[in-house]
Amino acid sequence: MKTSVANFRSFSILVIMAFVTFSLNVVAQGGAVEDEGFPLVLIFLLPFILLSLFGVVWMILWPAMFVWGAVFSGAKVERMHEEANQRRDSLSKRMGREILNSIDGGYRTDVSSAGLVHANGVFGPSHWHLMIGFVNNLIGGSVTVFQQVISAGRAEVMQRLREQAEEDGWDEVINVRIDTASMTPQSSNTRNTVRGVEIFAYGTGIKYE
Amino acid sequence: MQQVVNGILVVNTETIPGKVITETMGVVSGSTVRAKNVGKDIFAGLKNIVGGELTQYTELLQESRNEAVGRMVADAMSIGATAVVNVRFATSAITAGAAELFAYGTAVKYE
Repeated sequence: MKTSVANFRSFSILVIMAFVTFSLNVVAQGGAVEDEGFPLVLIFLLPFILLSLFGVVWMILWPAMFVWGAVFSGAKVERMHEEANQRRDSLSKRMGREILNSIDGGYRTDVSSAGLVHANGVFGPSHWHLMIGFVNNLIGGSVTVFQQVISAGRAEVMQRLREQAEEDGWDEVINVRIDTASMTPQSSNTRNTVRGVEIFAYGTGIKYE
Repeated sequence: MQQVVNGILVVNTETIPGKVITETMGVVSGSTVRAKNVGKDIFAGLKNIVGGELTQYTELLQESRNEAVGRMVADAMSIGATAVVNVRFATSAITAGAAELFAYGTAVKYE
């Protein structure tokens, strides 16, 4: 796996180098060949132009969105958590009880049908929260900003599981398991990867007779 | 109600509630690696700056999980099982844009 990744990397570097030399050649010849040189240059330089354009847009957009995130993201996370709790309360009022259980359903013998039910969500802290988390890490102790994001996400995903179970027509969900997996691979050390945590809840829906 | 996928019952409990398992037929599994297109990756990167849910990746993982379960069920069908019990999921991120989803369980016959 590792070697194939390294192979791919060196191959892509080779391709890019060939591309650059080729397009430089075209640029150099563009002056000599006047009739059809110009569009050819554009075609070969197009990826680089797009890349630099994207860089410029990112440079303008990033600080603006960073400030936006610094001002609004904390309140947004809290609102998400509150909203999930409200939906949970209204659903448990409608169904008459809490429908998720983490125990095996062997105690029930009056079950007519059963089946898998699952729900998921990917949640990430904002870059502002990442910065606060970094400072928090230096001091030590609990890193509340990340904990807020993840617990809000977990509440949301559990609520999605309840709604999915209701939509599929189950009376109760037994043997509920909750998995948390990082979307950011350990191997990547680049700064621009997406920071996110996937929360996944699954269980067995059962229907009473 | 989708308790039956292609005629095969899938649960994550050790027994099937309300049914009796008569024969176990070994472990079946299904896995998939999927990625979103560059545009959605860029949009998710932008969304990541302000935080919150990354809907593109939620969708991606949902689709790939369904595909992994489908492959596991196909595996169970090929050996003639009628149900898959004790299903577990494993996730690993290969790069930030792609994820490997793996579903496995025990194929059984029930009556």
